[in-house]
This record gives sequence, C-alpha cells and structure tokens, in this order.
Amino acid sequence: MTVTQPEQVRLDLPARYTYLHLLSDCIADMLRLLEQMQDAEMVIYNIQLAVHEACTNIVRHAYENKGEGRILITLTLSFDPPQLTIELQDTGKPFDAESYAPPDLDDVPIGGMGIFLIRNLMDDVTYTPSPGRNHWNLTKSLLVKGI
Amino acid sequence: MEMKTRLVDKVNIIDISGRLDANTVAPVAAWLEQMTTKPGCRVLVNLSETIFVDSTGLATLVQGMKRSQQHQGEIYLCGMRRSVYMTFELTRLDKAFTIFADEEHALKAFAK
Repeated sequence: MTVTQPEQVRLDLPARYTYLHLLSDCIADMLRLLEQMQDAEMVIYNIQLAVHEACTNIVRHAYENKGEGRILITLTLSFDPPQLTIELQDTGKPFDAESYAPPDLDDVPIGGMGIFLIRNLMDDVTYTPSPGRNHWNLTKSLLVKGI
Repeated sequence: MEMKTRLVDKVNIIDISGRLDANTVAPVAAWLEQMTTKPGCRVLVNLSETIFVDSTGLATLVQGMKRSQQHQGEIYLCGMRRSVYMTFELTRLDKAFTIFADEEHALKAFAK
C-alpha cells in the first residue's frame, strides 16, 4: 500500500511511564509507510528516544509523577517533503526554560540528559506555554534514498 | 524488561533484555546499588538483548559506575546494539565507560 496523504495518529495517554512504550511501536509503524528511508533503523530509534524523553519529562516534571494528568500526542507523517511532526500537550506545571542548563558532558553527568537528547536527536524543538496548557512540538526531516 | 543475574569467574553479570527506561529501571538500579557498594566489586552489564536505553537508564548506569569507583571496583558494559551505542556516543558516555563488543572480551579484560 502506498500512502501519499499525510498520515496522522492521535493518542491520549495517562501520564504514567507504563504507557510510554506504546509510542515506540506507533512511531515505527508510521515511519515504515515511508518507503526507502535512509538509515531507517537509526532514524526510527532516534525519534522514538526523543519522543520518549519528552513524555518522560512531562510525567516527571509537569505532573511530578503523581500518576495524574494526561498527555495528548499528535503524530503527523508528511510525505512532501518527508517529515514527522510530534505535538505533545499537557496540563501540568510549565517547563522552566530559563533555568535549564545543558549537562556538562565532560563531567559525566548523572541527570539532565533528557532535554539534551531531545534537542540533539530532532531537527526542531519548540516549547510554547499557554494558560493551563503546555505545548511541545518536535520535528524531524526524513531523507529518502535516491532523492 | 527482564533481568537475569549470574556469577562467572567472580564477575557479577546482569543480562538486561527489552527496554531499560524510566518504567523498568528500578530492579536494575537496586541490583547495581547492591553490587557496586561491595569493595572491589566486579560488575558486567550485558546489553546484548537491550533494545532501548533512555536517559534514566543511562543515569542509573552512571550512578553504578561512580559508586563502583568509590569502592575501588569496576563496572564494564558489553554487547551494545548500534542504536544504543549511538546514545552513549552522543552523551560522550562511550568515553566514560569501558565498553566491550561481547561478554567474552569483557571477561578476559576482568581476568587481566
């Protein structure tokens, strides 16, 4: 089956670590629609890891791992040009972007790797707070063999 | 995630299969804490069946490494898949850990 129209998947998950593995399968299944993707195994893994880290941060920091709240996830695979966009919404505490300091990799850090990984694995990462709601937008361009 | 532990040539080995992430890391962290607080500990983490490692998994391994150093012990990693190894490279943890291609090579290094 060849898909040419943008493919969109929406998930509404309880903000608990238990369910985050579901995203990995969803991302892999969507990206398999894109035939002839370059270095598919690594690209799929990198996106899976970045989205997992973003959701883990929401569970841990926005919702303080209390087992409450939800994460709304919209994954959109576009074909022209090929790219995957992941929108995440939560209603937890806002992310304090100003106090975030990237980890000092020379010092073998124990924590603070999540945001670092997200920013390094995706092409574009934006965070937009609005009253009562946080929006994350992660985008990755996908290269197709022979183009 | 499934973990199995065994003792081979005085090396405590943990085999981790599946995902090592925020949801699954607790039993691995508990085992590593128990092992790496023993003076002169020798620990091998076999990741050959580990398909996914997130930042929480990385942090747990780093904690184990730092703790083993405090107790004059050693912790080696082996068997990483390419995708998992990439995360170690990106975070420069490939320089901080002693990493072997497989268990055989890691056990030989412990024996030296």
